[in-house]
Amino acid sequence: MRLKIWGARGSIPSPGPETTRYGGNTSCVQVTLSDGSTLVLDAGTGIRNLGLMLAGSQPRLHILLTHLHLDHIQGLMFFAPCFRPQSEIVIWGPASPDASLEDRIGRYISAPLSPVEVRELPCSVSFREAPASEWEIGPARVQAASVSHRGPTLGYRITDGDQSLAYIPDHEPALGADLSRLEPEWISGYDLAYGASLLVHDCQYADEEYPEHVGWGHSGLSDALGFARRVEARRTLLFHHDPLHSDDRLDALCGAAARRWEDLGGDPACLEMATERREIDLSGGPTPAAARSGT
Amino acid sequence: MHAELESPGDQQPLELILARNLLSSISTPGFLVDKDGMLVFFNEAAGALLGKHYEETGKMGPDDWSRAFGPYDRKGRPMDIDELPLTIALREGCPVHDSLTLQSFQGDRREVEVSALPLVAANGGFRGALAIFWPTGARGKR
Repeated sequence: MRLKIWGARGSIPSPGPETTRYGGNTSCVQVTLSDGSTLVLDAGTGIRNLGLMLAGSQPRLHILLTHLHLDHIQGLMFFAPCFRPQSEIVIWGPASPDASLEDRIGRYISAPLSPVEVRELPCSVSFREAPASEWEIGPARVQAASVSHRGPTLGYRITDGDQSLAYIPDHEPALGADLSRLEPEWISGYDLAYGASLLVHDCQYADEEYPEHVGWGHSGLSDALGFARRVEARRTLLFHHDPLHSDDRLDALCGAAARRWEDLGGDPACLEMATERREIDLSGGPTPAAARSGT
Repeated sequence: MHAELESPGDQQPLELILARNLLSSISTPGFLVDKDGMLVFFNEAAGALLGKHYEETGKMGPDDWSRAFGPYDRKGRPMDIDELPLTIALREGCPVHDSLTLQSFQGDRREVEVSALPLVAANGGFRGALAIFWPTGARGKR
């Protein structure tokens, strides 16, 4: 299983000279499975570049949405495979008591926010609410579970052979709780992430920023690292960077993360900041954390 | 459950996790039961009412917790488990309010008002129920 990060930013795209190294596109991760097929995790603005790269090479695609906040769906309207008649796209996402997944996504892909409607897309597209039990996509087993964030939000665990990826980009597991003292069964996202080969996890805030954002659905650095240690993930990729965090700010945060991780007993080589265009091969075992310092 | 490692425990659903976090953060006594009626948490304020902390009792099955805490109806008669607000909220999936008498582990009795409400997930899945308690006569006294 291989990953490529197409967007690691949270909340809103943040292009500019101060974000060139970590990137300014919002959440999107390409997962290449052992049979060569592609899963896409979230459809933030990063999915646009993924679509251009695919160039029709993958007519059948599964897109797994964690939730429908704009930074996770904004790129759908600009995803080239949606405009190819030969594309078959399955979009998975959370259920809601409000409306079907298709109707909720249709609020974005419709007037006045969009010049086209879902029914006008040239591709064949279907919408499926993620089931409570594990299901299969190609060689992968996929598990979805609700996690602590604002509104219906899922985390995913994708297992292909003996490799597993836990993807929880928007997550505040420490809301109203002390992660270091909770029993595992009471930690949001625990089962999804337990023992994962790679955990991709929310780390939107520095610790000093978090108190101003309690309840917003995101993690501060110490809580992100505390969660990663509790679930015993083998490697951790800190994700969903705050749009106010410049490359220099993220470098500093990365240094603080490495020190804190070591204090917790972790190996700094197994921790890194997500960087746009970073590729990680899970089947090849640990790889040098080239992007750790963002350089 | 997973390819590499067995999970050490069954994950509680998010709705119960958030309800527990809420109860942990408030001074109103509260109980939390899962969809099978298992008492999975009560907060410190409920512990003060009952005379034991949750850490001392751990999880309790419906028969155990319903017997452990009395309870008695307004006329002092022992209540059947099927009559309890939490049980009704679980069974019928609707909010329930009632007055009853709880008995602490030390044998003290307290008249309380109870509001129980079912917890239903965004996808419609039934997760359990939450009950909060007020000592009778405490209404309006904050």
